[in-house]
Amino acid sequence: MASLVRYVIRRVLFMIPVFLGVAILTFFVGNAAGNPIDLIRAGLRNPSPAVLKALQAYYHLDQPVWLRFLYWLWDLIHGNLGVSISGRPVLSQIGPWTFTTLELQVLSLVLAVAIGIPIGVFSAKHQYSKVDYTITTVAIFGYSMPTFWLGIMLIIVFSFYLGWFPSNGAVSVSYPWWGSWVLDPIAHLILPTAVLTYVSLATIVRLVRANMLEVLRQDYILAARASGLSERTVTYRYALRNAISPVVTIIGLGFGAALAGAPALETTFSWPGLGYAFTQAALALDIPLVQGITIVITIMVLVANLVTDLVYAVVDPRVTVQ
Amino acid sequence: MDGKLLQISNLRTYFFTEAGVVKALDGMSMEVNKGETVGLVGESGSGKSVTAQSVLRIVPRPGRIVGGSVKFEGQELLTKKEDEMRKLRGPKMAIVFQDPTTSLNPLYTVEKQLTDILMLHRGLSREDASKQALHLLDRVGIQDSERRLKAYPHELSGGMKQRIAVARALSCDPVLLFADEPTTNLDVTIQAQVLELLKQLQNDLNMTMVMITHDMGIIADMTERVTVLYAGKVMEVAATPTLFKSPKHPYTEALLKAVPTVKQTRALEVIPGNIPNLIEPPTGCVFHPRCKYAKDVCVKKEPELEKVAEGHYAACHFWRELELEGKGH
Amino acid sequence: MAWRRFRRNKSGLIGGAIVIFFILVALAGPYLVAYPPRSYESLYEGDAGDPPSFKHPFGVEISGIDVFSETVDSTRNDLYVGLAATLITTLIGVAIGALAGYFKGAVSDILLGVTQMFFVIPVLLLILLFARVFSILVFKGLGLTLIVLILSFFGWSGIAFIVRGETLRLKEMEFVQAARSLGARPFRLLFRHIVPNILSPVIVIATLDIAGFILTEVVVSFLGFGDPNTSTWGLLLNEGFPYVRTTWWVALFPGLAVVFCVLGFNLMGDGLSDALNPRLRE
Repeated sequence: MASLVRYVIRRVLFMIPVFLGVAILTFFVGNAAGNPIDLIRAGLRNPSPAVLKALQAYYHLDQPVWLRFLYWLWDLIHGNLGVSISGRPVLSQIGPWTFTTLELQVLSLVLAVAIGIPIGVFSAKHQYSKVDYTITTVAIFGYSMPTFWLGIMLIIVFSFYLGWFPSNGAVSVSYPWWGSWVLDPIAHLILPTAVLTYVSLATIVRLVRANMLEVLRQDYILAARASGLSERTVTYRYALRNAISPVVTIIGLGFGAALAGAPALETTFSWPGLGYAFTQAALALDIPLVQGITIVITIMVLVANLVTDLVYAVVDPRVTVQ
Repeated sequence: MDGKLLQISNLRTYFFTEAGVVKALDGMSMEVNKGETVGLVGESGSGKSVTAQSVLRIVPRPGRIVGGSVKFEGQELLTKKEDEMRKLRGPKMAIVFQDPTTSLNPLYTVEKQLTDILMLHRGLSREDASKQALHLLDRVGIQDSERRLKAYPHELSGGMKQRIAVARALSCDPVLLFADEPTTNLDVTIQAQVLELLKQLQNDLNMTMVMITHDMGIIADMTERVTVLYAGKVMEVAATPTLFKSPKHPYTEALLKAVPTVKQTRALEVIPGNIPNLIEPPTGCVFHPRCKYAKDVCVKKEPELEKVAEGHYAACHFWRELELEGKGH
Repeated sequence: MAWRRFRRNKSGLIGGAIVIFFILVALAGPYLVAYPPRSYESLYEGDAGDPPSFKHPFGVEISGIDVFSETVDSTRNDLYVGLAATLITTLIGVAIGALAGYFKGAVSDILLGVTQMFFVIPVLLLILLFARVFSILVFKGLGLTLIVLILSFFGWSGIAFIVRGETLRLKEMEFVQAARSLGARPFRLLFRHIVPNILSPVIVIATLDIAGFILTEVVVSFLGFGDPNTSTWGLLLNEGFPYVRTTWWVALFPGLAVVFCVLGFNLMGDGLSDALNPRLRE
């Protein structure tokens, strides 16, 4: 138990320089795009000198860059994510966006894991069978395609051609899908979730299968069978338990990557989440917003990593010893 | 039942791989009487481990038993249902595997691995199973057993892990124990300890043991009768002293020559060549490519296991003619 | 010997065949297409927005760009991004990984830490940010090479990890100890003994990386952060997406090209992995 706690602390300590690293990269590159005044001026069209002065003071533009960075960081730590060039504070918008992104990501991840692990196990146990080949082929296509492109294809078929599901937004504006405001968000979730789940599934199935095959070859599985343990016990409590640790890592990292990869999928579905907001902000050179979103996503990714590390350590205690 | 605990007849176990069909066991026969310690000797790849796996019917994919008969306590095992086999594995027969580092599950404590088996076969509660597991550790000579019980395999030394593997195999008091190269991966000093342990336990529990090894020294030390296996076929069967004094198969002679004795003055003779490709084994006698006595007939015709004397069999066309050298003990 | 094993692996061969096909298309590109890159000629021919036909096998964009020509031209550019980024990241990754694995102490720890950092961060966001900012700033004439550089800057940590792991493992092996006992100096050890032995996993990862970088490029260009003057599959998807309701072929065909190209590299990588990994033989 003690080694577990120490391990977690070590991981947290590691996350701090990582966070700082991202903050530095984000700030300095963003800053290189041009100082906020110019950007705002471009956005607001002739703001009055008073406003300009206030903005100048707000962004500490008279100070050297590294000092501005520290001011920004200080604000950050106190929860102030700055003001977008549109005038609205970043923080207030982040909430709804985060929820919308997580809605999609978490649902897809849960489905992908729940469906993917059993399929992977099944595929490994029936290696070389026709079913195994089919599963492997479908999986390989899954992680060979751009997620958003699959989204576009599904939109063409199911939205434009068949009209079964909506193709944009998280909720409808005037008329609810399927005639109900309760069902409406679900209708909107279906296509993007299907896409994301399938692609995540593909990776998970492949990984679980590969690891299970590796583990099933091991002596201790043979020994477990030799001791008369049931097939179910051997498969799940012995084999899967051993195979799952790298899968846990990949799931955790994949979640982090998915969060970061949200832009393309969300853009395709006009899904008003963090990814979509980031893309629009970056295109418009709304640097404060871009920085704010990056920081928020980074924090979520780091937390996801931490949780993954924790779960991994619980599953495989060997890692805490190093 | 007529005293024969295990009767293997003409067992064939093949592995269906992408490269071809590997005939790991191709007509192997062996008998084990109750209370005996029988040796199964041969080089790596001769099919020794596969034999044990076949008896317990846990041959891993892509392997499969394709023919023959395995009778245990008079019952045919190859026709039993999987459920029935599972009831035998542990309480009736068990295997001690070669490498304790890989044969113990790295993610579970010793306690868990032992109690899983005890709870399954003996129907014990978790506490009772733990107590029994502790008792098992004591019996295999592990000091400080309480701490070791809660440990993970990677926290233990090789010798200790193998003792635990022995404890696991014996946890349900099996009638038949296969010891598959139990000391090959251990230090020499630990080897002796583990062998001693096995001998002692066998005595205490009146267990029948099949000692699988490539080490003729262990054969001499531990076994009463020996079966010599090569490329999935039986070359010779004899009582251990007889095998050493007067072997009747060239392969046995070669194996004996490769073992040094205290009075060794001559250079050790290495058996030339490698074990044959089991996908396309040699024609005729499977040993002929490496046999220094091989003649034409050896290439064409496969020798049958012929009776040399009571309890002594050899599969060689020329066992009568050849004057083979043994080790006078 | 490993080549024989690879030959037996059906899917690996299919992957290899696909890759060769795309390389040939890339090389032969200019001779296969009817229209020069980024040309709106079809607009003047009155074919703008036409569905696939004999004249325009993949159809025409609303703007008059012939999709088939563009898809073929993009092959060259996408392969460039994939191969170039992989080459650079492999070099960086192997260097850093080997150093981190071979040496002990502060240097190794720092390298490990940096590698972990680059591995954990949300790379796509930073890639997009960098691409957006740098494209307006300094590197105007670079085109896709800018993307290559940015992808390389963020993409080396995977290889570095594997190489570090392998180096650690090999370092303890006897042949290295033997060389050391004969007086070999660290860099000689690294390059003559250790690196050749890590080639197998590195080749596998590099192949899979090509697939990954192409996918990333597609995303970057699709979102509008790529080079608007160079034909890439992502750019085509970007142009086609707003009009996908009517000119759906603009989204379909370039996408299929991506899928099969990436599939090819993935299959080949898997095949190589099977072939190069020593398996236990009975």
